[in-house]
Amino acid sequence: MGKMERFSFVALVAGVIFFLFADFVSWALPMFVLKDIPMKTKTDLAAEAKAKNYSAWADFEKLARYYPEQFKKFCDYEEKFAGAGKVSNCAPNEETFAKALAIGHRWYVAEGCWNCHSQDVRPVSNETLRFGIPGVSNTVSYPSEYQNELQAPVLWGTKRIGPDLIREAAVHDIDWQVAHLYDPASTSPGTNMPGYPWFFEKNKDGKLVPNERGLAMLVYLQWLGTWEVKPTKEWALK
Amino acid sequence: MSNTQDLQNLVNYGLVKAHIAMGLVFFIIVGLVGFLYSLQLDGIYPFPGIEFLSPGRVRMIHTAGAAYGFLVNMFAGLLYWAVPRFTGYRVLSDALGWFMWIALQAAVLITVVAILFLGQADNVEWGETPWWIDPIIVFWLLLHLVQFGAPLFKASQRGPLYVSGWYISAMLVWTPLVVFMGNMIPRFWSAGAGAGAVQSTFIHDLVGLYVTPVAWGLMYYFVPIIMKKPMWSHGLSLLGFWGLAFFYPMNGVHHFLWSPIPMFAQYSAVFATVAIEFAVTSVLINFMMTLRGSAEQLKYNVPLRYMYTGAIFYWITCFQCAFHVTLTFQKVIHFTDWVTGHAHLIMFGTFGLWVLGMAEYVWPKLFGKETMYSKGLSEGAYWLLMIGVLAMFFDLTAAGLVVGFDWIGLNPWIDSVNFSKPFWYFRSVLGIMMLTGLFMYAVNFWKTATAGKGLSAELRSDSV
Repeated sequence: MGKMERFSFVALVAGVIFFLFADFVSWALPMFVLKDIPMKTKTDLAAEAKAKNYSAWADFEKLARYYPEQFKKFCDYEEKFAGAGKVSNCAPNEETFAKALAIGHRWYVAEGCWNCHSQDVRPVSNETLRFGIPGVSNTVSYPSEYQNELQAPVLWGTKRIGPDLIREAAVHDIDWQVAHLYDPASTSPGTNMPGYPWFFEKNKDGKLVPNERGLAMLVYLQWLGTWEVKPTKEWALK
Repeated sequence: MSNTQDLQNLVNYGLVKAHIAMGLVFFIIVGLVGFLYSLQLDGIYPFPGIEFLSPGRVRMIHTAGAAYGFLVNMFAGLLYWAVPRFTGYRVLSDALGWFMWIALQAAVLITVVAILFLGQADNVEWGETPWWIDPIIVFWLLLHLVQFGAPLFKASQRGPLYVSGWYISAMLVWTPLVVFMGNMIPRFWSAGAGAGAVQSTFIHDLVGLYVTPVAWGLMYYFVPIIMKKPMWSHGLSLLGFWGLAFFYPMNGVHHFLWSPIPMFAQYSAVFATVAIEFAVTSVLINFMMTLRGSAEQLKYNVPLRYMYTGAIFYWITCFQCAFHVTLTFQKVIHFTDWVTGHAHLIMFGTFGLWVLGMAEYVWPKLFGKETMYSKGLSEGAYWLLMIGVLAMFFDLTAAGLVVGFDWIGLNPWIDSVNFSKPFWYFRSVLGIMMLTGLFMYAVNFWKTATAGKGLSAELRSDSV
């Protein structure tokens, strides 16, 4: 037994071998199982949103129409930490959509939204009834919807004080989101979510409007779950 | 090691003092920010609309600060005391020690600035440090490995290491691996469900492969020293250590049960978690049997009482875990305050109380004094902290059950917030209680360090 009680034995067997074995079972093998799911970049996500005319794409165009001045500023806005640079072709296009996702995701993480909002609908506890999309989708969370750059690290979260957000696109419209982000109590009486006034500014007329970070955040929020929302009927007829 | 001069040459008192003092400072700070965050849940946040004091950011300081500011500082200080004393060799280098001390404080402060002011947090729970500082932390942990690995390695050339040595040796190797894995792999080499599996492994490994082994290593050192007798069973010590070393690293995925992680990983995590309760119970039996015949010491020896209180809380937490890790319990309690209560009982109730007890044992000795400045402050702090954290545990566990069943019942979401409010108010009151205890503890520390003449023990024959 003496050998088991030496530094080198403990460091090698417990420190390295047991650790690697556990990592193999806990995440290397699961990753191997999931390896065939294609990994999407932000650009891929933007292209998909446009090609399939996701509801988030309509919301994005709406934001650009509502707040043209701020949208212009958003195009010029640079954020190295999120890997987002200046966009010369300033219009609701794939490039600006990818940029909005990058910046929105960055501030979603930075503000600790994921401390109180999960992004994981479980197959139990009536969660599909609460968070699934009635009549459209009743799915639980599935691996492929997380296989993208915006889920690295993954944003499942471990605590809910507010509701789950992975199907948010189907729950509220963009106008609700704007009001709620500025003052949550205005749309959700009794909530204890803090407001985020620093995502807003006053425009020329003195009206409160989302600033460049706010626009990006709103696009990101309305993008969550947009892949599960069916296009509206008018669009289908066109 | 009979005379004090030898021991003073062995231990760098300055490093022990500096780390413990900073650990205590950060303990109070993370307690304050935790309290501040709880006010947001109560709807009375004092700084609404201020970007850098946004409750979401403040909460990340609470968790990341508890990991790196409070626990790493405290444990490092206690290791500087314990490792040279049970191995008989000095740590690798005092200069390295001071460099590491400065680097650690700098890393924590940079993290605070990055999270609060720059908005550069990382969405890895318990690894909220910005990703660019994580390689620096890994490097720090490698220095930590050589610093404490040196005396352990030298001692094991002479013969088998004492139990504490196994735990600490394994921890020194695990920690840099864990921090690298948990912060780098989910960001750069995976995404989605795979990243989730790594992150959950990280959350649990930082508890299970850093905090737990270093804390048990120190317990195996301090408890027999204080009671002046050996551990009850060496066989149980072996069983406990190897059980922990094998099963603990596999526990992580239980943080994301019912998630898109492949089920075999979820099942293995559940199995390993139930298995580890047996290892934990063997350790607890060993400590309880060691206490047998000396239990009256708990009446007047506050450090020992902290340690045994923490040990009992540890067992409660682990026993609870064996049940709530099952897929059945998870249906109700996942995402609720039950988990928060569980986390506070283990982090504050066990590891918090342990380091406070150990620090209280070491602190007077560092200043050449026999006892702490005030018995009253010492006792008062203990009772406030112990009752506070235990009540918080029951409060949040109950809140978790209420909310969990409320969610299943498909009631309007706001109901779960309203139902939680009484529990949250009570939690804030308990927060004040625990903070008062911490302040009393800190005052006692300050007074002990600055008292003019040597404080002599009241009960000379029983003093330790």
